[in-house]
Amino acid sequence: MTDDLRFVGGSYPVHDVAQKVTGELVYGSDFSLPGMLHAKLVLSAVPHGIVKRIDVSRAEALPGVVKVFTCFNSPMDRFCRARIHPGQDLATHDETLFSEHVRFVGDRVAAVVASSRAVAEAGAALVEVEYEELPPLLTVEVALAREDVPIHPAGNVAYEFEVEKGARPDLDGAVVVSSSTTTPRTHHGALEPHVCIAQGFTSGGMTVWTISQGAYAARTVIAELLHLEYHRVRVVKVPMGGSFGGKTEYIVEPVVAFLAHALRRPVKLLLDREECIAATMVRPATATTIRTACSASGELLDFEAASTLDSGAYASSTPDYSIHMCKKVTKLYRLPHYHHRSRAVLTTTPVGGAARGWGAPEIAAATEIHMDRVAAALRMDPVEFRLKNLVLPHDTDLVTGLPLGDARVRECLERGAVAFDWAARRARPAGRGRYRRGVGVACGAHKNGMFGAFPEASNMALKMNEDGTFELSASLHDPGCGVVTTMKVIVAEVLGIHPDLIAAGEADTSTTPFDYGTYGSRMTYVVGACARATAEKVKTRLLAAAADLLEEPVERLHVVDGTVRVREDDERAIAYRDIALLSGMRHLPEISASLTYYAVSNPASYSVQFAEVEVDCATGLTAVTDFLAVGDVGRAINRGMCEAQFQGAVQMGIGYALYEHVDIDAAGRSGVDGFKNYHMVNAPDMPDVQVLLVEHDGDDGPFGAKSVGEIATVPTAPAVVNAVNNALDTQLSDLPLTPERVVAALAAKSGEA
Amino acid sequence: MVQAEVLTPATADELVAALARATPHTRLLAGGTDLVRDIRRPGHEPDVLVDLTGVREFAGVRLDGDLLRVGALTTFTELQHDPLVREHALCLALAAAQVGSVQIRNAGTVGGNVANASPCADSATALTALDAAVVSIDGAGVTRTRPIGDVLLGPNRTSLRDDEAIIEFAFPALGPEYRTAFTKVGSRTAVSVARLSAALVMRFDAVSATLADVRVALGAVGATAFRDGAVEALLEGRPADAEAARVLADGCVAAVSGSIPDRPSLPYKRHAAAGLAYDSWNALALCPPCEPAWG
Amino acid sequence: MELLLTVNGSLYEVNVHPTARLLDVLREDLGFTGTKEGCAEGECGACTVLVDGKAVASCVMLAVQARGKEIVTVEGLARDGELDLLQQKFVEYGAVQCGFCTPGMLMSAKALLLANPVPSDQDIRVALAGNLCRCTGYSAIIAAVKAASGQEATPLMELPGAAEELAAEVQTDPDTLAAAREAAEKIAGLGPAPHGEA
Repeated sequence: MTDDLRFVGGSYPVHDVAQKVTGELVYGSDFSLPGMLHAKLVLSAVPHGIVKRIDVSRAEALPGVVKVFTCFNSPMDRFCRARIHPGQDLATHDETLFSEHVRFVGDRVAAVVASSRAVAEAGAALVEVEYEELPPLLTVEVALAREDVPIHPAGNVAYEFEVEKGARPDLDGAVVVSSSTTTPRTHHGALEPHVCIAQGFTSGGMTVWTISQGAYAARTVIAELLHLEYHRVRVVKVPMGGSFGGKTEYIVEPVVAFLAHALRRPVKLLLDREECIAATMVRPATATTIRTACSASGELLDFEAASTLDSGAYASSTPDYSIHMCKKVTKLYRLPHYHHRSRAVLTTTPVGGAARGWGAPEIAAATEIHMDRVAAALRMDPVEFRLKNLVLPHDTDLVTGLPLGDARVRECLERGAVAFDWAARRARPAGRGRYRRGVGVACGAHKNGMFGAFPEASNMALKMNEDGTFELSASLHDPGCGVVTTMKVIVAEVLGIHPDLIAAGEADTSTTPFDYGTYGSRMTYVVGACARATAEKVKTRLLAAAADLLEEPVERLHVVDGTVRVREDDERAIAYRDIALLSGMRHLPEISASLTYYAVSNPASYSVQFAEVEVDCATGLTAVTDFLAVGDVGRAINRGMCEAQFQGAVQMGIGYALYEHVDIDAAGRSGVDGFKNYHMVNAPDMPDVQVLLVEHDGDDGPFGAKSVGEIATVPTAPAVVNAVNNALDTQLSDLPLTPERVVAALAAKSGEA
Repeated sequence: MVQAEVLTPATADELVAALARATPHTRLLAGGTDLVRDIRRPGHEPDVLVDLTGVREFAGVRLDGDLLRVGALTTFTELQHDPLVREHALCLALAAAQVGSVQIRNAGTVGGNVANASPCADSATALTALDAAVVSIDGAGVTRTRPIGDVLLGPNRTSLRDDEAIIEFAFPALGPEYRTAFTKVGSRTAVSVARLSAALVMRFDAVSATLADVRVALGAVGATAFRDGAVEALLEGRPADAEAARVLADGCVAAVSGSIPDRPSLPYKRHAAAGLAYDSWNALALCPPCEPAWG
Repeated sequence: MELLLTVNGSLYEVNVHPTARLLDVLREDLGFTGTKEGCAEGECGACTVLVDGKAVASCVMLAVQARGKEIVTVEGLARDGELDLLQQKFVEYGAVQCGFCTPGMLMSAKALLLANPVPSDQDIRVALAGNLCRCTGYSAIIAAVKAASGQEATPLMELPGAAEELAAEVQTDPDTLAAAREAAEKIAGLGPAPHGEA
């Protein structure tokens, strides 16, 4: 591991921090254009039905209302909100701008466009909709049983997947353990609600200002829907207040683009929190059963699992999700035989789709809760049991056949156990008092990009300005976690100048080279590698220009602090600014390069997390009293932000384990409509999270870096659940562990009435 | 679009004149933490909106002989820190301290909390234990004083008329021989609506070492906060010991069972009620902390 | 209705709907979009402003109630282009990621420090209990507030602007520059550079 890095490994604030702390930064929700109109959606009040009639007369009569669009006066072409590329195989085109067949409470029925947000809201309240109701299918079980009530023409199963690898060994004398875990629907909880602005021009083209995580992909969906050539649609990524996957898909973009195009005006749609919770997207609820067999000495022999995902009303990403849930376990554990079936089932409930971790938190919850049960059956310590079965560096993933790369999960577990004082804490009795403490551990694995399953490449351009500063042109989508800063630091390291002297913006389909977007944990590993390679190419040209100017061979030159210097002769140095000036006026118009980087590998990233909890047996409330997150991240490009990502990810994971759930009542309505009844962990309840980064800079990422943002939240919830089960000697496995569930489990144990 | 007429009285007389204009579509605004959201829903804009917060004579706390008078416009932050409240009605200060967040406490008022009549309102539980009377004024200038139990009728329902505003809460100031507590179980530690709340007020007679004037109020487990007369009777005259704690806990559990027999939340709330009772009892600091077996 | 409001030390006259929230008037009528709307029910704290020095959720306060009061928004923290100490510490401690909660956090923290200049960890957590963050897990924010009260830990990150100073100092030695100019002239005379392909 090289320690002579100048910028990589330092800690940098996000690139636009100055504007954020002063309130100057214009987010999508702040964005405004002259003459802009405002839209408000009319959403289905019934979970399943056919719209028979919509009366917009009262709404359209309201002064300030420009027009009301409905399923009856708008195009009904189908699109896929999760499609990355028009050529891809797996993309279910099952959604329309407005639904005539409404499939959940929150389905789009109409949009009112008006001169102000208040008028649009008032207008929306005046739209009268008549439904012919159909039977609601509010759970996976009911949806599967009622094939006579198809939510979509192809039936209620959105996707099925199965993978079986290896060969089942002899299971004579094996210890067989079963478990069943459910994870809830959750709300992503980004502080900024969903928003989109589009401007339709009289000439027919348009600009869309989006907060989605894939501008180019959004463009293809929008352009196809509106029958426009792609080059007439410009999609620009604007600053956003968080996403966590909830804005990955094009939920508001198609309808806003349509409204702007139809009216040839600028139109803005800003959702409120209630709409964000129920009518955009949720993390899909899942149920997984696992059965394993292992030897008496603790080696896993066989792993059989079945997962069901609640896709909600539209397929969205859950087909892909259901595949990915089957691709995590073998990144983590060495298994002779692995068999996993999964199924995404449609229901007349909020749409399940992309969420941080993409199935990894869901399957990690099931797997890690299960592994604790196996350890208990073997009377083995949970850490010891896992150490017998975790993958080793450079193992091959049984399912994908790809190398796992420099997989350091064992080291994470070993070092974490020491740092957390696991053995001593685990040995302490929880007691029988009102407050009981326990500790739990969980491991997680995730990927680094889409290589192996999907084309994986990125494009960038980098140039030096006339004054020696740099411009990076790349289709970046920063949800707020420091993506732009990461790229600047990587380029800075290569070029030997401070990251703040490099400008980097976000995606704009009219100017920035193509990139898929921010998801799939590809940003550091693939897009960062592209940044490095592009910077190296520019550096080559920079050095060549300097070689000419200094009349030295290139091999004798190196970059240091904004100058090109002759090695071992610091006196002979030329500042970038002067290289730019002299080269620019004399022989090279620009020192720049563009590059396409093709990913060459897809190793796994790992995190092992330890939780200590204290459960109040009287109220059922669980406090997380201590937490350690260990991450095998290859190398932290931005150390401070890397640690901060773990801390935020743990907040999300604790919520997943203890508080967060979007339940649907018998009428198909969400039981939560705001933060008053959807509780995310707040400052008083958040423990101090210690973060330990394990860095071995192997693999092909920039300076050895691997992904962080998603893996950080993968094992959090099961670490907490395992800790609660340790404290109470229970076998809770239905997330979240609400006070009711905890109290019920205690009552069941003590045989209370 | 309908535009509310906003009236901003600054004195009691101006308030009466404003109330005289009230119709069934009129709303009275204090801190706004509940009301603002409500009146902005389409179709819910009031015809007249009376902003009470300018009538400063109805904010603040004062001692009036034996009575403590708490102005309806006193915010939760003010109640939390008011020396008179802390000395003579500590359970109300404790309840105020646990309402929402700092932002909510800075704006929310005790009058607004009671008038909104959520079954979970923290201040209602404390005021019920304090035997508070609600003083109101109407558009005819008539002042009424009623027990809080006569004002709170059910979820979001009070006996207040359209032209009636709460101006004050009055109750006997508790002397130094009294102990009070307020405890709440929410869905998390802070910033949570109560799932159960309890307020205890009792006088400890040092000579006989027994409890007197016992008042136990429970909140969030019924249509309104209520006094648990049965458990009060059982505790009256008892020594302050672990047995009293047990009696209190059993009584609270029974009261919860009786109050919400058909609710799905009953098994949980029964169980948590015992914990609530012990926490409240221990907060009185009348004897060493008590604990049951937690099974 | 006509309303006179004092915001960030200046007096403004606005004409607003009677049920307009203070949040709406700040953002739309006065252009102070630093104050954010996250939930519209006073739960997330993104809309927090100071009203007479106290933290208040502007999404559940009517603009008419702000009459005669001193309102301070995040835009009012910096003075003459100089960041408030709290803002500086938020930068230094990595307390800002997506930044949407940041204005509200700063205002709640500001209110705390005005009333309690040296708060404990617990004091800070209670003061920020009504400000939700989904990105940071709160640690860096709490550390930043502590640092702003003089209780420093180790700052993590540089303030922006340091790099510009560094860059300005980077000079080419005059002799080297003169030689390089000559070399450039020579190359110009020789025609296009040998390495000049795209």
